Amino acid sequence: MQKKKLTPYLLIAPYILHFAMFVAFPVVFSLVLVFHRWNIISPMEFVGLGNFYRLMGDTFFWQSVINTLYFIIIHVPLQLIIAISFALLLNQPLRMLGFFRAVYFLPVVVSGVVVTILWQQLFGFENGILNRLLTLISLPRVGWLTNPDMAMPSITIMATWKNVGLYVILFLTGLQTVPEQLYEAADLEGANAWQKFVHITLPMINPTIFMVLVLSTIGGFSLFIEPYVMTGGGPLNRTLSSVLYIYKQGFFFYHMGYAATMGVTLTGIILALVVLQKKYVERNT
Amino acid sequence: MRIQKMSPARKVISYALLLIGTAAFLYPFLWMVMASLAPEKEIASFTLFPSNFGMSSYLQVFEKIPVLHSFFNSMVVSLSVTFFVVVFSSMTGFALTHYEFKGREVVFYIIIFTMSLPFQLTLIPQYILMVKFGWVDTYLALTVPYFINGLGIIIFRQYFKTIPRDLFDAARIDGCNDMKILFKILLPNAKPAVITVAILTFMGVWNDVLWPIIVIRNENLMTLPQLITLFAVGGKAESQLGVKLASAVMLALPVVIAYSVFQKYFITSMASSGLKE
Amino acid sequence: MKNINAVLFLLTILVFTSCKSSKNSQNGLLYWSSNNTDEITYARFIVEKWNKENPGKEVKFQPVPEGQSSEEVILAAVVGGTTPDVYSNMWQGDVEYYARAGKLVALDTLDGFIEFLADRCDSAVIKEVTSRDGHIYQIPWKINPIMMIYNVNFLKEIGMAKPPRTYSEFLSMARTIKEKYQENGRTKKWAGYAEVQVTWWQRWFDYYPLYLSASGGAKLVEGDTAVFDNKYSVATFSFLQKLFTNNYFPTDRLSSGQDPFLSGTIATRFTGPWEIIHAEKFKPSGFTYGFAPIPVPDDHTGQQYTYGDTKNLVIFKTCGNPQLAWYFLREFCKLENEVEFLKMTNQLPRRKDLMTDKLFAKYFKKNPMMIPFALQAPYVIGPDNSPVLKEVFDVISAEYEQCVIYNKKSPESAVKDAAHSANLVLMQ
Repeated sequence: MQKKKLTPYLLIAPYILHFAMFVAFPVVFSLVLVFHRWNIISPMEFVGLGNFYRLMGDTFFWQSVINTLYFIIIHVPLQLIIAISFALLLNQPLRMLGFFRAVYFLPVVVSGVVVTILWQQLFGFENGILNRLLTLISLPRVGWLTNPDMAMPSITIMATWKNVGLYVILFLTGLQTVPEQLYEAADLEGANAWQKFVHITLPMINPTIFMVLVLSTIGGFSLFIEPYVMTGGGPLNRTLSSVLYIYKQGFFFYHMGYAATMGVTLTGIILALVVLQKKYVERNT
Repeated sequence: MRIQKMSPARKVISYALLLIGTAAFLYPFLWMVMASLAPEKEIASFTLFPSNFGMSSYLQVFEKIPVLHSFFNSMVVSLSVTFFVVVFSSMTGFALTHYEFKGREVVFYIIIFTMSLPFQLTLIPQYILMVKFGWVDTYLALTVPYFINGLGIIIFRQYFKTIPRDLFDAARIDGCNDMKILFKILLPNAKPAVITVAILTFMGVWNDVLWPIIVIRNENLMTLPQLITLFAVGGKAESQLGVKLASAVMLALPVVIAYSVFQKYFITSMASSGLKE
Repeated sequence: MKNINAVLFLLTILVFTSCKSSKNSQNGLLYWSSNNTDEITYARFIVEKWNKENPGKEVKFQPVPEGQSSEEVILAAVVGGTTPDVYSNMWQGDVEYYARAGKLVALDTLDGFIEFLADRCDSAVIKEVTSRDGHIYQIPWKINPIMMIYNVNFLKEIGMAKPPRTYSEFLSMARTIKEKYQENGRTKKWAGYAEVQVTWWQRWFDYYPLYLSASGGAKLVEGDTAVFDNKYSVATFSFLQKLFTNNYFPTDRLSSGQDPFLSGTIATRFTGPWEIIHAEKFKPSGFTYGFAPIPVPDDHTGQQYTYGDTKNLVIFKTCGNPQLAWYFLREFCKLENEVEFLKMTNQLPRRKDLMTDKLFAKYFKKNPMMIPFALQAPYVIGPDNSPVLKEVFDVISAEYEQCVIYNKKSPESAVKDAAHSANLVLMQ
């Protein structure tokens, strides 16, 4: 009997060990680091709230947060409109639906590095395909990645292209859960397509919308490889993402304490935003 | 709405829009493949059919960076992580569903809590841990921190719940020990969960760049995405487009092949990861 | 701090410890060179020679592991405790950082070092490489002075027999070029090209050499204070700003594939002697080029300095036998070996007999293109002694982008803001 009692603990032992080492310890250690200055190679030095003072005045950090919010503000509506449109299109009795779904999903599985290298060429100023298209219909060329006002929107467009397939699938799943009777009842009352969409479809896919919000928020704050490869954070730091800045401070200048401080602060910001979004969505349901 | 007959006009418009979407998602990939095969001068055009095809861009990539070596590294890392995640996560999921023990609830909440932590919080201390363990520039740094993940446990837990207890009890009467029950009976009966966890884990590790860039500085140990990222950013491509694109194609190829074979599994697995909330 | 170490220690035991073979015995040395092909050739040459002459004191050599920039790789190695015994190619601006962290051997404590250094360098250089604690942690090894390369035929075409010397001359040349090579309102050729990237070390090829030239070799940082908020920085910024805002320099990256200088798209470029090897390999037939000092303000007088991209030799504290490492480095820097080095790499050893010794003279006779660099060699400045110099360059670079490239700020306020941010960094 003794052995049987022990079994579950043995089964979860690897998890507990892993949790202690790679989650619990880092979290605790983060909270120690924020009060220190440390470059790993010299002794650690206690600086009290020094890192937070520095953070308050660090324009690059706040610029990176603003950039991220800007990303989210463009990304979410873009994502929602495109994903819902395609999901509605696919939710019809048509042929080859499997093929379309598979194609839309392709960018989701391909590595972000591939997508970034590819789009860097599409966005090229002199010879990029997008600008050639614009020239073709006699529009002026756009400095997709070189114009400070365009760089972040360009990255957002790319991110939407990469992720939207996933949301098409999710919305499609959501749409298929909407009971048919609801539409039939609405038809009887003479509702038009738009009214049916707003009053029946939208509420039913609300959880998915919330998910898009949350995942875009987390995704925005995790942006790294896109600016790292395409812009290095420029021009004028307009595409400097939070993780890119942590990377620079932490792994380029080895300000471990300061980088950890940014990590903790960002965690706070992310969690606060997610809670806010949750509240907002719930109130509107 | 779905059962109703669609008007022909609506049908045509729908197909047209779907085809535009197809072009938007597929054309860039096709262009990339063709451009990587085209002579350098012809890359900057829309055409999918260059005047002549050649492998010179690919040969240059092989000359400049150890692609095969990195491919091997990526395989070792992704496969070993996937293996351990399936083993450890299923063990934990098993314990959470088939045993009553003190602290079970606590463990469950810890898992949920862990999953909601943004990685930005633990990035720096985890790196320091790697330094202090002396794991920087070893496979260990790329694998061990990923050996378990909360999502895997949740997926297994969810699935194990649906497996009837009778199966478990019958096996126990037959004298199987607990490990045997898990690996010989439960897991084979939980194929969808195994596939989902395996695909999610494999893709996550295979595509990750940030962590490898931080813990691996030695070219011989770099993973494929890392190597190609640094190749694209650094000066080695000598700003030749064809070479960059060829390296990107090589990075995409294994995943695209896997995707075209196991397409259904990919879509359902990745969609289920989104639904974790 | 003890607690954390204890926890770490416990955790280390809990996990299976990764077995890292301890590398070097007392008798041998591990030496890392840069991974530049020519430098590897020299490293191989000198190591073979040493091993033949010093049996039992074998030096093992390896190029710095390929990866991100060599500075990053070295930093990671220091952090991870996997440094070699001897490293060539340490950027002088990094030495103070490692010295202060106690990672480098103070060379002046080794037998015969002081005499060696006095023999090799003049007092200004010795002063430059002396750390703030009074010790010397590096051997000044090699330099690549930044100068202006120019396309002789291009200049002839616009009626210039000589390369421009001052800002006004350069700007008027730039205007001529822009006006002459317009097609449908688009500029086809430019006076020059400078990277618009903000990566900190890009400023070694525009702002920093121009600043050193204008100021007669002034410092960026003195102690823990930024001292570059002066008229020279402002002059440099406004010169560069004019080049970009008037479209004398392209703000877009020139289309890839071809080298813009060798294809005749740009007339000049600020660069180092490595350009010679590149040009000789890829230049079209009939292409001629020359080197001149980079432009200076119109009222400039006196000696003209430039940035030297100084790379030095260091011994890491992890070395078990520093005295032996030092003997190896002495051999490394012997006259006849450095003549070989110059031949193999076209990079200048940083020594005072460069223009006086017979062996070097023979080389310069064969390679006249290198003479302007050798003449400039006594007047190069290495980076200042500051543990955060990289970050100082980084904040300068950020302001540079705002002011020079995007014209969002006046040179005065950009320089002022850069100095302000630099002081914040220096205070840390």
